[in-house]
Formats: sequence, structure tokens, C-alpha cells
Amino acid sequence: MLRLTEDIAKAWLRAKGLPVPRGAAADSAEAAARLAADMPGGAVIKALVPAGRRGKAGAVRVAADAKASRTAAAELLGSEVHGYAVQRVYVEERIAIRSEHYLSFMLNGPRPEVILSRSGGVNVEDALGSTENVVRAAVDPLRGLQSGDTMALWRKAGLPGAVVPAIGGLTAALYEAFCAADALLLEINPLAVDDRGGLALVGAMMGVDQNALFRHPAWAGGALTGTLPANPRERGVALANRALPGGECQYVELDGDIGLLVGGGGAGLYQHDLVLELGGRPANHCVTPPTGSDNRKLKAVLSAILDNPSLRGLLIGFNFAQMARTDIRVRTLVELLDEKGGRTARLPIVIRLFGAGEAESRAMVTGRANVHYVPRGTTLKEAAALIVRLVAEAKAEERAA
Amino acid sequence: MSILVDRETRVTVQGITGGQARFDTEWCIRYGTRIVSGVTPGKGGETVHGVPVYDTMRRALADHPVDASVLYVPAPMVKPAVLEAIDAGIRLLLVTAEYVPLHDVVHVVAAARAAGARLIGCNTNGVISAGKSKLGGVGGIDPDEIYAPGRIGICSRSGGMTAEIALALRQAGYGVSTSVAMGGDLVTGTTMAEYVALFEKDPDTDAVVVFGEPGTDNEQELAALLRAGGVRKPVVALISGAFQERYPAGMAFGHAAAAINSSDESASAKRRILREAGAHVAQSLEEIPQLLRRALNGN
Repeated sequence: MLRLTEDIAKAWLRAKGLPVPRGAAADSAEAAARLAADMPGGAVIKALVPAGRRGKAGAVRVAADAKASRTAAAELLGSEVHGYAVQRVYVEERIAIRSEHYLSFMLNGPRPEVILSRSGGVNVEDALGSTENVVRAAVDPLRGLQSGDTMALWRKAGLPGAVVPAIGGLTAALYEAFCAADALLLEINPLAVDDRGGLALVGAMMGVDQNALFRHPAWAGGALTGTLPANPRERGVALANRALPGGECQYVELDGDIGLLVGGGGAGLYQHDLVLELGGRPANHCVTPPTGSDNRKLKAVLSAILDNPSLRGLLIGFNFAQMARTDIRVRTLVELLDEKGGRTARLPIVIRLFGAGEAESRAMVTGRANVHYVPRGTTLKEAAALIVRLVAEAKAEERAA
Repeated sequence: MSILVDRETRVTVQGITGGQARFDTEWCIRYGTRIVSGVTPGKGGETVHGVPVYDTMRRALADHPVDASVLYVPAPMVKPAVLEAIDAGIRLLLVTAEYVPLHDVVHVVAAARAAGARLIGCNTNGVISAGKSKLGGVGGIDPDEIYAPGRIGICSRSGGMTAEIALALRQAGYGVSTSVAMGGDLVTGTTMAEYVALFEKDPDTDAVVVFGEPGTDNEQELAALLRAGGVRKPVVALISGAFQERYPAGMAFGHAAAAINSSDESASAKRRILREAGAHVAQSLEEIPQLLRRALNGN
């Protein structure tokens, strides 16, 4: 899920004609003060990070005027909130709130879920923890959510009758905006009723489906401004994943010493379990894209694995006889071993790779004493046992020396 | 018999003129699949490996009645293509595309269910009834090397693992009635429990092997079916991904669907829940035939 910052989420809702308070992003205290000068009722300054629960984290400040806004923005900018460095703040007109409610939509199963609560605001966790005045319902994806349904839900949540028609209509419109954004999460907290009885979407957090970014090209760039992993090898693979064409690649570094070059699916999970059960400790988990003529993503992942200073052995394990060409993977390995040289020349490597181009693949590693290309018919478990044994032996030899 | 596909199943291929579709179509035909037509808008009148191509599903169906459609259309086109097939009356669909937006997935899954159609996938490499017919790329150019005809059903969250399971069975003298890769996405057209229920009704299947991963409630739903007495045939389960429990929740390992959202969705919890419901839980591929032998022969 790609979490959008509040300015982007609110721009989307505003464009749908929904009641979003006036506001804009600022990257300096001066800019925040200028925006606040145009807000006679006072301003709210919020840290712009892609995370919820900012009120609790002290990242939402109320400012009476431009001067106070400058101070609040100066304090927030450069601070850290929920693990993100605050580079921008959101400056929004302050709404005189009569009552605060909570509404969210979530999609992580066959049917979208709607949650609404009579009470919202900073302490919404307490409210959601109880069953009183909180309503959860599944939505039929074909039928959607109509205002008749949403009014009934708000009545069930105990909302006073006078406000139900307006908030019911708004909820149905928000559901449409949720679907149109390909959102997996849309949380409105608080959904406020102001002192004149009007509705305002005061807090809005939205996370969208990365697989749907082809429909939302403006947000695809947003992913680039998200935080990258601090580990240089993980960062390298994350950047390759964004910049290069082809299926997804991932690399997660762990605390062990046996590198795993596996696909993205079940066989990778199975081999990771096996290495652990056999007494080995994986140095990473990874996802590599299906083989194609462009091997750059594969190379980025394998390069990261080989650059891990803790690495003591490598298992290249894929499931049997799918159509993937084995020679592309083995050529990538050989290229990287030649490039990196040094300790990789003695690194125990086990290859369990059967399928198209296999004879060529075996020929490419002939004469490399550290590379063990297991015979056809070797099971995934036997290959995992071999790398665990080779690494244990190498360590024992070193201790003896 | 078998489930989902057999020698008589007549098949159309949506997106037949693409590279992967051409390749798979050739090897499906060689295996015995009755591919009678293909559909690619704008390519009507062409042929692919002798199969006539039509611009629309309705025109294809006017010339050749079909029972199933295999969709090779790219992820952005899955929703309109599936809806077109359902509207045309097709009641078995197999969607190969990966990375289909989740809103589209839940829509087409609900639409298929409402129409009484069965949707396999998305993100599946196919279904094979050994020795009879196959849909999709499963088995590659030599399915016989892996899938020996026999009486064991396979249902797997992972396409690659269906091959490993079939090989482990073959080495122990077992064969496969039907093997289906259900797809590893968060939401699939058909659930693991539904596939197992189909195998339960198939007179040519004696036992079922399932492969599961962390994430989703597929295995919990299967356990509920077992507890309710809905399956009399032995079920052997291999569930991978227990290593994830050593690391903080929410850490991404592989497919997005294989993330643990609640404690019931971990591999260990799934193994326990299935074992308690009467399934035979294997620790490795090698153990699968041993458990089958014990369950089928009582020794």
C-alpha cells in the first residue's frame, strides 16, 4: 500500500467536491505563516508524513494567528514523527467543531469494509475498542454503498437524527471517492460537524493500491518521495525496482549468513523454512522477477546478496521445470562473480536450477570449485541441506586454521 | 473424471495474439487441450497455431461454443475482459495476469460469483488434468515429465510448488487427477476450501494435497470445512513461511498477500488449525507421499 500524505489525499477529496477545509502544504516556517495569515479563524499546523495518529504524537498544533503558525511550523519541521523526517507541514483553516465522528473504508479481502463511530478525534482508539456506537459492515462490491445504507449505519451508531441525512450522503460520496482512487484505506478522523451544522473532513489519511498506479500517474512519483531503506543494499534494490522495467524485485537483509536467491512465491518461503530447520541462518529474503532478456533487476538483487558483509554461502533455488531460462540466472551469477572477485571466489554456492538452457548453464560454472550445481532430480530440501553443511564446514575449517 | 477441465472442455483464449499466449496455446494444443478460438480486438481473421482469432467474444462464440476462457490480457484489461466473458455466458475463467488492482479483483470475483461462473486466479500459471487437458502454462513444454496421471488432487497457492508436489508424488508412485494453482493474491476467484470440495465430489480423486502460505483465511476456511465433516477424503497440507514469525509483523517477504495481518494468518497457526481439524500436516515435500500412504492404506 502506498500511503499518501494528507495534502495529496485532501486534494483528491476536494476535486470530488467534498467538504475539505481550506489548506495547503508549506516547506518553511515563513511559508506556513503566509498561508495562516489568510485564515482569520486561526490555523492548524500538521506534520506532513504518510502516517496516521499524528494528534497523539504531538504532530498537530493549533495556532491562533500567523505568528503562532510560524512558531509551530518551525518546531515541527525537521522533527521526526512515526519514523519519518518532517520536511513539510500542512496549514489548514481552523474549524469551530461542534462534534467529532470517525469513518473509514478498508479493502483487504473479498469485500470492502466500512467502520463508523459516533465519536472520533484524538482518542478514537478507545472509541473503536468498544462496541458501543461503533458499526462495522461489509460492502457488496457490485452494489456499492448507497446513501440509504449509510444513513442506516449512522443511525445504528447512535448519531442524532438531524445530522444523519447529510452525513449519510457524504459517506456514500466518500465511498465513491475511495473506489475511484483505488484506495485500500481511507480514514476520516475527525469527520466534524461545525458550529453552523456543516460537515468538514478535518483529518484524512489515504493509502492506495500500488498495482493501480497506472490509473493515477500523478501519485506514482509520490512513491519516490517516500522514505528509502537505510541499509545501502536494500536501498539499491528498492531503487532498481522503481527505475527498471519488469516484474517486482525485493531484498530484505536478515541477521544470518546464507544468502538466498529465490523467486517471489512459495518455493522461496519453503526453502527459507528449510534452511532454518536444518540449522542454517538466512542472510536475506528476496523476490526476483521472472527471467527475461533484461536481467538488470535480477543482477541488482544478486549483487546486493553478494555485497552483504555477513555472507558465508549462497543458495540459488528455484522450482522445477517452469519455463524460466536457467542460463540467464547462471550467466548473471558468473558475471557478478567475475566482477566482484575477492572472497566470492571461495564462497560456497549451491545451484538448484532445472529447466530450459540447463546444459549451457552447467557448462558456465564448470571448473569453479566453489559452485555446486546439484544433479537433476535433487530436491529443494537436499539442496538446502548441502548449503547448510558447506557453510558449517567452511566455518569449522576457519576456526581450525 | 477430474475437476475443472477434461478432454471435452472447449476453450477460447482471450488475448491470444500476445507472446505468452501464443507460446502456451501451442503447448496446450500439443497436450490435448481443445482450444477452439481466440479473441483479440482488432486481430479478427488471423490465426494462431491454426486457431481462428475473433474481435469479440460474442463473434467467437457464434462460430464455436466454448466451456472455458483463458485470459492472457494484461492487468489493466482484466476487469473488462472478464466481464465480457461472463456476459457472453462463459462459466469457467482462468486469469493469468499478476498485479491486477484489488478493486478490480473484488469486482470481477463478485461478478463471477453472482453469475454462477468459476474464476481461477488471478495470477495463476494454470490447471492441469493429467493426461487429459490443461489451461495455462503449467507443465511448460513437457508436462508429462512432472504430472503423471493418477488419483491425487493438488491445490496450491503457488504455481511453482504444484510442480514440486507433483514430482514428489510421482517419485513415490502416485499420480495426479487435477492440479490447480489457485493464485497467490490476497483475493482469488475460488478459495482453497472450494477446490477441496470439488475434489471431494470427484470419483477419480482419492486424496488432496494443499500448499499454503501466510496471509488470508484460505486455510482457516478449509479447516472449518474439515471440522464440519465436509471432506471425507484425506487432506495433506504443506504450509510454508513459518520463518516470517521470527521477524516483526508487517515486514514484507515476497508476495503482498503473504503478509501476516492477524495471528491466525501465520504459517504455524495454519498448520495447527489444519492439524486440529484432521488434516495431515507435512513438514517437507518428501513427507507428503508418506502421509498419503498412511492415510490411504492405513499404515
